[in-house]
Amino acid sequence: MPMPSRKDRIAEAAFKAFFAAWVALWLAFLARELVVKNNIRDYAALLSRDIEGKHAYVTGDKLYAFLDYCKNNIPENGTYSITGMEEGSIERRRAVYYLYPRMESSDPGFIVDISEYALKKAKE
Amino acid sequence: MELIGLCSAIAAVLFIGFNILCLIMGRFDGLGITETVFISYGIGIGFISLEMLLFYIAGWKFSIPALLLPWTAVVAAGLVIARKPLRSYWLTKQSQKIDCFGLRPRNDVIAISFLSVFLKFGIALEVAYAFFRALIRPIEAYDAVAIYAIKSKIFFLAKAIPETYFPSLVHGFPHPDYPLNIPLAETFIYMAMGSMNDQLVKIIFPLFFVGILVALYFAIRRFASRAYALLFTFIIATIPQFNAYATNAYQELPLAFYCFTGSVFLFRWLERRDDFRYLALSAVMAALSAWTKNEGAMYCVINASIVLWASLTARVRKGGSNKPVYAAALYAFIIVLIILPWAFIKRKYGIINDEINLANLNPLYMVRQLHKLGPILYELQKQLFGPKKWLILWPAVIAVAALKYKELFKGVTGYITASLVLAFCGYIVFYMISYVDVVFFASKTWSRFLLHLLPLTILWLACLLKEDIKL
Repeated sequence: MPMPSRKDRIAEAAFKAFFAAWVALWLAFLARELVVKNNIRDYAALLSRDIEGKHAYVTGDKLYAFLDYCKNNIPENGTYSITGMEEGSIERRRAVYYLYPRMESSDPGFIVDISEYALKKAKE
Repeated sequence: MELIGLCSAIAAVLFIGFNILCLIMGRFDGLGITETVFISYGIGIGFISLEMLLFYIAGWKFSIPALLLPWTAVVAAGLVIARKPLRSYWLTKQSQKIDCFGLRPRNDVIAISFLSVFLKFGIALEVAYAFFRALIRPIEAYDAVAIYAIKSKIFFLAKAIPETYFPSLVHGFPHPDYPLNIPLAETFIYMAMGSMNDQLVKIIFPLFFVGILVALYFAIRRFASRAYALLFTFIIATIPQFNAYATNAYQELPLAFYCFTGSVFLFRWLERRDDFRYLALSAVMAALSAWTKNEGAMYCVINASIVLWASLTARVRKGGSNKPVYAAALYAFIIVLIILPWAFIKRKYGIINDEINLANLNPLYMVRQLHKLGPILYELQKQLFGPKKWLILWPAVIAVAALKYKELFKGVTGYITASLVLAFCGYIVFYMISYVDVVFFASKTWSRFLLHLLPLTILWLACLLKEDIKL
């Protein structure tokens, strides 16, 4: 078997160093993902829940229960506007998603006040 | 019951996609079996959603029988075309013990070394984790809910794209101009399940993740050993950002799959230029990328430019023969044909992107936006040199590019380099012509844009290092 050239030896050493660093970082960030960021706790909580329970967990149990209440009390063709929550917040986007086919409107039938967890009729 | 519906929907997607693939390829002498499965999956998803858009144009409602019925003609044609080649493949394989899929012969079977076991274990672990992470939660990430899942909910509840959707309804939600490939695919799966289970529907995304791994493995296998292909498949599978986006119902990985396969089949055509099946397949995948996200249109333009460039240079070499020019025309024709229904609807209802205006794509405007380059490049370097999302991939890419600068533009590797450079430049141009605050836009999106060109970058690394890493 011919002796590997100097260039080949350098390439092999560089590859070994790269691969070792890659694997070390991969395992470190995988562990961080699971343990430090506490995803294991989330997974354990989600495993025991049904689909509605999972929606409640990712949205927040209290907010999801309130949105469920709104869903049951706003007619399907009804309109609403959301107050007490930042315009572009993820909770607001989730609320719009859960409440559809009820639509957000500038001339709403209902006010969904998330800061007070209250549903009010806009027009008495 | 939902699981049966889900499995049936995936089976229908695969079967329809496979038959369309049969029509494009004619015979199966260049694709591996697993590769065929995942290419079929991507094609099936794309064409079923396109069909649903055509249902809207025709004014029809969705139902599973109505959606499957038009494919019976394609299935019949596909079965006739595929019957002979598949039979001949099995016979050849049985009698000659050779690989008919255009891969390297299997005489380089690797010994069961610690490295190969480790690489396979790593890939299997990441795949299993991607499916677990995707299926443990319902759709909940920001864009996934606000832009895509809301649309699939609208379509599912109406059992159609409602008549009022494009004229008015769509403007009540963010980004009305985003293509509907994945929202309509989600709707198809909801309909097959008979319920809006936004947890199970997320299986779409890890399947695209595996599709990219498979497509990359087979692309590398065509010029290197199994161990070498496994190594680069392991590298992409273990990138944290790549795995995370296989699970959050964003469109980045479906787009990356279509862009990557579009490029891979284009490069296969460029290697020999006599097999127009790969050119056609590349055009289909590129067009489906434009049907998945707006950024896909950029990859269509890049691929079409490469085909045009390669055709024109070939025409000069061949002394004015028109054959190479037909290739460019065929490529453009297939792309236009596939994206035509969506382009028609966008034009008819005046649906435009509110963040980027392509009319700003002129030199004068661009010069006035040059001040944005600083923040764009600053946010890019944060991605390139931060190991949290990409480990040490991008420093390695920069080092390889510096060491191998003489080979960067040689042969097919040259086309890959050109694709990557054009894609990077394309994203920088997007940032410059966008109305959104550039620091906010770049900080939120570079990490996603890099995902689109990640598989091609890994293939590029594999091409450049094939003489240096002996496995």
